[in-house]
Amino acid sequence: MRNVSTILVSVLILLFAGAALAEDVEKTEDKVYGEGVTGEELILVSELMATPDEYIGKTVRVKGTAVGVCAHRGCWINIASDKEGETVRVKVKDGVIVFPPEIMGDTIIAEGVWTANELTMEQTKKVCEAKANEDGKEFKEDEVTTCMTLYQISGTGAVVVSE
Amino acid sequence: MRTFRKWCRTFHRELGFLAVGLTLVYAISGIAVNHAHHWDANYERTLERFTIEAPGIGPTAEIEPVVMERLALTEPVKSTWRAGEAEFQVFLEGGGIDVNLATGEVVRHGFAKRTLFFDVNFMHLNSGKAPWTGIADVYGGMLIVMAVSGIFLVRGRKGLTGRGGVLMALGFLLPILYAVVSRGGG
Repeated sequence: MRNVSTILVSVLILLFAGAALAEDVEKTEDKVYGEGVTGEELILVSELMATPDEYIGKTVRVKGTAVGVCAHRGCWINIASDKEGETVRVKVKDGVIVFPPEIMGDTIIAEGVWTANELTMEQTKKVCEAKANEDGKEFKEDEVTTCMTLYQISGTGAVVVSE
Repeated sequence: MRTFRKWCRTFHRELGFLAVGLTLVYAISGIAVNHAHHWDANYERTLERFTIEAPGIGPTAEIEPVVMERLALTEPVKSTWRAGEAEFQVFLEGGGIDVNLATGEVVRHGFAKRTLFFDVNFMHLNSGKAPWTGIADVYGGMLIVMAVSGIFLVRGRKGLTGRGGVLMALGFLLPILYAVVSRGGG
């Protein structure tokens, strides 16, 4: 029976070692998130935001500084536009890609599908209220008269670019 | 049956010892991330507020050196960003600074990885993907073998046909009931 135990432990150690070596090296060490980026062609964030409907459903790649990150689950980042004050959100599936807070201030290239989410009036008001609270401004419900469309990149991957 | 039970005992014992470390990783992290709405299980966060002489609102190229001079930072700056007319952000390693250009109010955010918790959560949530995916799969397989072999360790009234069986039924019933109730209640 002692031999059985020795064999069992040896097999398991081999399995663990094999499992560790079977797949690629940990991706976060290379500062590659998710599937990374698959092409080189970039689009300016300002261009994307100026004519958002033109790109719906298309795969896009943007480059810029990460200026916001989801503090709870790391499930989104905001990338700064080439136009001052403007940002674009890259939303990833919860748990599939996790952006750490350390990413803030890094230059990122992110890739994904450009999507548009039509909000209801109720949702629009909630977004406006949250934005007003964030900016320390008074929220005036009556001033919200049209439904909002939220554009974002459904991210599949990103890389940190060293400059 | 005797040989089978002997095999079960060997598997259960050996795997049990091997699984102690990994089980603690998953159990500790499980409790930690279960309460993610109460605390940040991965990072310790700090917030400091102070005021500098208001740099004023003007073109970024002119304002940036003024802000940096008034902040008098000693650590390297990763990058900066003019987030809005009166909002200026400075990004540092391990944190960042928000400056209100109009009022001079400054909020400094800091974060640091929590000792132990960051690492166990990283493993539990499989944030690094490979190679942990493979290790976690093997561990999952070990738990299955341990659970099944555990059923046959004890005979008699404390075993499967007695108290052990009742406890095992309870262990099945709890998740089944929860699944039924949670599905029913949406």
